[in-house]
Amino acid sequence: MADETALRALLLQGLAGDEAAHRAFLTEAAALLRAYFRNRLRGRPEDAEDLVQETLVALHTRRESYDPNYPLTAWLYAIARYRLIDFLRRAKHRAHAPLDGLDVGDIDPDYEATDAKHDIGVLLGKLPEKQRIAIRMVKLEEKSVRETADATGLSESDIKISIHRGLKTLMRLMAEEQVS
Amino acid sequence: MKTDDLIEALARGAGPADKQHWRRDLALTLLVGLVVSAVLVVVFLQVRPDIGAARMPVMMKAMFSALAAAVILPFALQLMKPGRPLGWRIGAVLVFAGVCVLATVVALMGEMPERRWEAWMGGRGGVPWCVVLIPILAAPTAALLTWFMRAFAPTRITLTGAAIGAVSGGIAAMAYAMYCPTDSVAFVTTWYTLAIAVCAALGAVIGSKFLRW
Repeated sequence: MADETALRALLLQGLAGDEAAHRAFLTEAAALLRAYFRNRLRGRPEDAEDLVQETLVALHTRRESYDPNYPLTAWLYAIARYRLIDFLRRAKHRAHAPLDGLDVGDIDPDYEATDAKHDIGVLLGKLPEKQRIAIRMVKLEEKSVRETADATGLSESDIKISIHRGLKTLMRLMAEEQVS
Repeated sequence: MKTDDLIEALARGAGPADKQHWRRDLALTLLVGLVVSAVLVVVFLQVRPDIGAARMPVMMKAMFSALAAAVILPFALQLMKPGRPLGWRIGAVLVFAGVCVLATVVALMGEMPERRWEAWMGGRGGVPWCVVLIPILAAPTAALLTWFMRAFAPTRITLTGAAIGAVSGGIAAMAYAMYCPTDSVAFVTTWYTLAIAVCAALGAVIGSKFLRW
């Protein structure tokens, strides 16, 4: 597992536009987050993995909020803690709702513990059209921003902004879905 | 969705991070907030009629309020980005509060005993309305600042809400000074400070709800 210095270098390279470094940063961060959330949500690995994914989207969409004058891990865990508190707060609200008729036995036996419950396809459907198309084409269909701009008739910066806004909304939808 | 697929999707086409113009945005936010508060004072409270003769005390009160906002601002800004310790910024706020208490005591000691109550509570009816009016005037600035801060990633939202409230209170008090008919030092150091504290409390309770992301 990467240490503070290496992880910080990866994020800073990613901020400067190095996609491979950003991918490596997110991969290392996911491992740290998984350990963090599993420790705090013992016996609930799916919830933990949901939070890992939600926090990864948060780290990505808010990556400009890292201040290089301070330790990277402090930034990362502050965001992780915030997502966890948010999750627990939502779960507490739900705990007051009646549990009658809630089907708890219906779990797919082939369900992998490391798989999160989110269906990104369904969540994408809830986004405004422009954001949905931008995310689908660039993030899922592996088209370049250029190609997407040409195909949709929107400008490249419009596509980038749509992706950014869409991902932020997606993170919120993930959080809401988790406890609903 | 597998986490690895999500990482792949997030990284794909990520490009460099956007340049941030937060200083410009912050300056604009505070300026707009101040102007809106000033307009509210002019329209709903009216500028005190003797503003010409009372230029100096009005300026002093506005400066005091600006100083309060300036002392709390670093505290608020530190909370904008996650994982940054507050350090000396708490100290600055505490020292300012301490100086206000000291100034109140010294100023009251300097008054004749029979005039002390009026100097402390204000002349007109003896009700320090600023404790109510400043928080109302602070609401537009607080809303703008909340919007500004949420674009970053505040993770200690109750504290951030309080800090936003206090900064907005300082800005609102600058505008309120144009109306405020009481010029005694002890009045300002007590009630303006308390009004800002009320703004901070409201920010912690109400503002933090809107800071969630």
